[in-house]
Formats: sequence, C-alpha cells, structure tokens
Amino acid sequence: MSTGIVTTALCKVFPPRRTPWSWRARGTPVAAVSGLSIAIPAGQVTGLLGLNGAGKTTTIRMLSTLLRPTSGTATVDGLDVVADARAVRRRINVIAGGERMVYSRLTGRENLWYFGQLYDVPRARLRRRVGELLELVGLAAAADTPVERYSRGMRQRLVIARGLVNDPAYLLLDEPTLGLDAPIARELRLLVARLAADGVGVLLTSHYLAEVEQLCRHVHVLDGGRLVAQGSPAQLVAQTDRQHVLVVTVGGSVPAAVEAVRAVSRDTGARLDVDVDEAGRDRLTLRHRDDLAGPVVDAVVRAGGSIVTVAVTPPTLEDAILAMSRATPAGVR
Amino acid sequence: MAAVWPTFVRNWRVTLRAYPWTYFVGTLATGLLTVGVALLAYRAIGGGRVAASFTAATGGSDYLGYVTVGAAALTFTTRMVLWVAKAQITEYREGTLESQLLTPARRLPYLLGVTLQALTTTVVEVAVLLAAAVALGVRLSVPDPLALVAALAAATVAVLGMSVPLSAVMLAAGEAHITQNTLFTAMALLCGFTFPTGYLPDAARWLGEALPVTWALRVLRAATLPGASVDVPSALAVCLALGAAYLAVGLWILPPAERRALQRSGNA
Repeated sequence: MSTGIVTTALCKVFPPRRTPWSWRARGTPVAAVSGLSIAIPAGQVTGLLGLNGAGKTTTIRMLSTLLRPTSGTATVDGLDVVADARAVRRRINVIAGGERMVYSRLTGRENLWYFGQLYDVPRARLRRRVGELLELVGLAAAADTPVERYSRGMRQRLVIARGLVNDPAYLLLDEPTLGLDAPIARELRLLVARLAADGVGVLLTSHYLAEVEQLCRHVHVLDGGRLVAQGSPAQLVAQTDRQHVLVVTVGGSVPAAVEAVRAVSRDTGARLDVDVDEAGRDRLTLRHRDDLAGPVVDAVVRAGGSIVTVAVTPPTLEDAILAMSRATPAGVR
Repeated sequence: MAAVWPTFVRNWRVTLRAYPWTYFVGTLATGLLTVGVALLAYRAIGGGRVAASFTAATGGSDYLGYVTVGAAALTFTTRMVLWVAKAQITEYREGTLESQLLTPARRLPYLLGVTLQALTTTVVEVAVLLAAAVALGVRLSVPDPLALVAALAAATVAVLGMSVPLSAVMLAAGEAHITQNTLFTAMALLCGFTFPTGYLPDAARWLGEALPVTWALRVLRAATLPGASVDVPSALAVCLALGAAYLAVGLWILPPAERRALQRSGNA
C-alpha cells in the first residue's frame, strides 16, 4: 500500500452552469484541474501554489472527498478518495481561510464537541482534546462564548482547532492564515511545522509566499489547472531567470568608481542603471542572477570611491511563481 | 448512528439561542386561523350542519373535529418539513455544509438528529394548537395512547421520507422557498387536511394517494376522531412503506445534490 497522498492524472471539469429550474446550460465547461500527478508525503509540508483560478482549491476539494474527480485518481495511504471516501475522511481534515465552517450560534467549546462527535472521537478523549485545542489556539478564555460574538481572528482560530479535532494524519490547509493577526499567524506556522515533525502530512496553499518558503520542503506550482513546475523553493527560484537587484550608492561623484562598476557589468553581463539620488550621489543599480555585491564593492573601493549604502534584493518565490504563470502559454490555461 | 445525539443537542442549542419564544407564537398562527375560519364558516354559513356527502366520506359528522385534526396535522407536517428539509440548505448558506461533509458521519443519523429535535418542538406547538381549539369549543375525544403513538410515528416517518428528497432538490437548485411552497400547496390540496380527498378529481386524488402524509393523516384521524372509517393497519403499512421509499430515494439523490451545491460554490 502506498503511503501519503498521491494523485495520478487527476482532472476536474466543471460543467456549464444551469439555472435552477431549467436544463439550459450557460457558458462552456471549465477544466479547473488537468492531468495533475503529485505526491504529498507524510511528515512534511508540501506547497501548492498558483495564481487565483490555478486549481488549488479544486484540488484540495477533490483530495478531501468534497468533489469527485472527472477522471484520474487520488489516494490517501492507498485509499481511493471516491471508493473509500468515508475511510479517507477519518484520515484527513481541511482548514480553510475565512470565518466559515463553524456554527455561529454555538460556543467554541460546543463547536469542537459537535465536530469531535461527528469524527467518532471517544467521549473521554474528546473532552480532553477540546480543552487542549482551545488552549492551543488561544480561545480558552472565550470557550463558552457564542461564536457570533467572536472577532474575525477568533473565528479563524476556531476553524483551525476544528481542523485538528480528529488528529488527522493529513492536513489540507487552504489559505489558513487569511485574516489572522501576525502573532497568531506565526503561532500557526510554528504549529504546522511541529505537526509535520510529528509525522502529519501537510498540503499548504497560501498567498503569503514567505510562509510557503519558510514551511515547505517541496512545492508544486499550478497554472490553469496544470502542473507547471515543482521542486524545493530554492530550486523553483533557480528554475526561473529571476535576478538579484543590487543597489550601491557611492559617496560624492567619482567617475572612476562608476567606470569600474561598468567594467564589472560588462564582464558579468549584468544590466547596469546609473542615476543620482536625492543627495546628488551616484546610485548604481545592477541586475544579475548572482549576487554581485562583493565584486562591485571591491571595484568601487579600488577605484577610490566610498560606499554609502549597499542593498541586495534576492529573487523570491513570488517572482518565480509570477514568472512561471506568465510563461505558461495562454492555450493551456 | 453516532451523529444522532450530537445533532439533536446542537439543534436544541441553536434553536434556543436563535429564536425568541414569540417566534413559536407566530408558527401557531396558521393552524389557529384554519380552525377559527372553519369554526366561523361552520356556525355562520353552514348553520352548524354538515352535508350528507361529508358524513359519507369521513364516517362522521364532526366537521370541526375533522378540521382541527387536519390543521394540527398540517402544522405538524409543515413545521417538520421546514426543519428537516431545510437543514442542509441552511448549512450550505451559513458555510457549514463543507465542514459537515468533511466528517465521516453518515447522512441518515444527522437527519434523524434534526428530525428528533424538530419533533420535540413541533409536538409542543401542536399540543398548544389543540388546546386553543378546545378552548374555542371544538370537542375532541381522548385518543387511545397506543393508536396516537403509532399515528405520530407514522406521521414522523412520512414527513422525514418526504423531507429528504425535498432537501436534495433544494440543495441542487440552490433555492428553498419555491420548492417548499410548491410542496406545501400540493399537500394542502391533495392530502385531505381540511376536506376529504374524495372531493378531488380522480387524477389529483391518485397524486394524493402517492404522498405518505395522506396516509399518515388517515391514521391520525382514526386515532383521534370516533367513527372515522379507516382501515388503520393497512393505512399504517402504506404510510410506512411510502415513507421508507421516499426516504430511500432521498438518501440516494442527496450526495449528488450536495456535490452539485459545493461545485456551484467552488466554481466561482
């Protein structure tokens, strides 16, 4: 039996919309996911990235048995998400961003008690588990307050606790930090890392790419429902031709220093822009795949110039995702 | 069956917090008006007499008792259908359908939990309605408790059976009001709540015979009105068989309806 979540040639085509009382279709079928083959192993955080409409949420909905694939297969520890849906649901859970997925009229404690019962968590264990989860998400003090009186962040924290109530072997996180305050979002990231270290397989989609870079060992990039790249965050950044941006401000106006930097630019193929900052100092901007701070500073100093500021902006995963999405031919989107 | 009790408890808590007691006064208005209008018509227009055809069709001449039991049954049916059939579309609208469907809990225990909670509140509402009718001068005989329990059980199965397919239609259509009001109108016309179904044209009468609520109503009348000409065991059997058949169809079409609803919300 294979372990982890595995998809093979997974496809989801949404049929044209129909009005409630007529069979007349409006629009055309939409292929939300096409031929997706990925693996999400246990014990690590795997990222699923892409722009809006890339197919991330549809993929999560298929993996969590909420939607049936149009074709292809998806298995969780060898259990098929369609044929063995009930067994799959015992092994997974989903945390989605936003404030829904919990009952407004119930208290936080009552919500967790209810969902725990639906997951067949034994009664004695459930009482303890509910208390632990409320502590974990910082809602112990508001445990017996109806959720309708919670703030947005509190509701989202309860959604997170709900997603953990059955001790899932796999956790599917769809924008989990949406609407969370920075400290709580940081706590959640630490929690996700801890869960993965304890053996939980986590699939994470997030618009906060720094979060993905921090947590994910492996990332799949979708565009138009298709897998366009995969690898570690560093490999993905390297795959695209993104550049470091180096900005050096030279003290005073030293023509020899600027010439020396031009020479570095010619030798390395870096693109150089020269202008003057607000204080009348030469500002040199170089764009190159590598970080050229060392050779440039060295050249300026050798030419008799002095360095006022140096700033290097490395290429980010965000740049890489945007570049990959732009690179995908429109026909396959 | 683990979801029955938690769903029952959840719905009780939600009901107590969501609805003030005045809400329940409002729900009684339709039944009380039905009885009140019948009382006025019977006394002011009918002169306190009923036609021979009514006696022949019902086996008795107690029109007010007939209408009162019908109004109580209509209140019971509409209230139960509103609770049970709208349970899942309410979850859908409030954004909790996904979290419910993510769990391994089966649909039937969930729906049974909703039904049991609905039954407790609806029985109280109907009891208040009957007490008000008695206060207005309607005479009701004290029913055989066993017959009454059997009739209530049959009515519950009938209503649950009809509510589940209706729930699937509401989810698939993404709409509740047109669906529920169509059913309520059809039931009010076809099931014999306020007049014997014998007065209906043949085609409409046969449509009514296909609804389990029609048979449940006959059993309820047999349990509460002396002289009602009903073969109770046969009516009970047909009611339970029809209720079970509707329930089976409902449980069969509910999962695709849920997926259609989720697909609609996820296809944006």
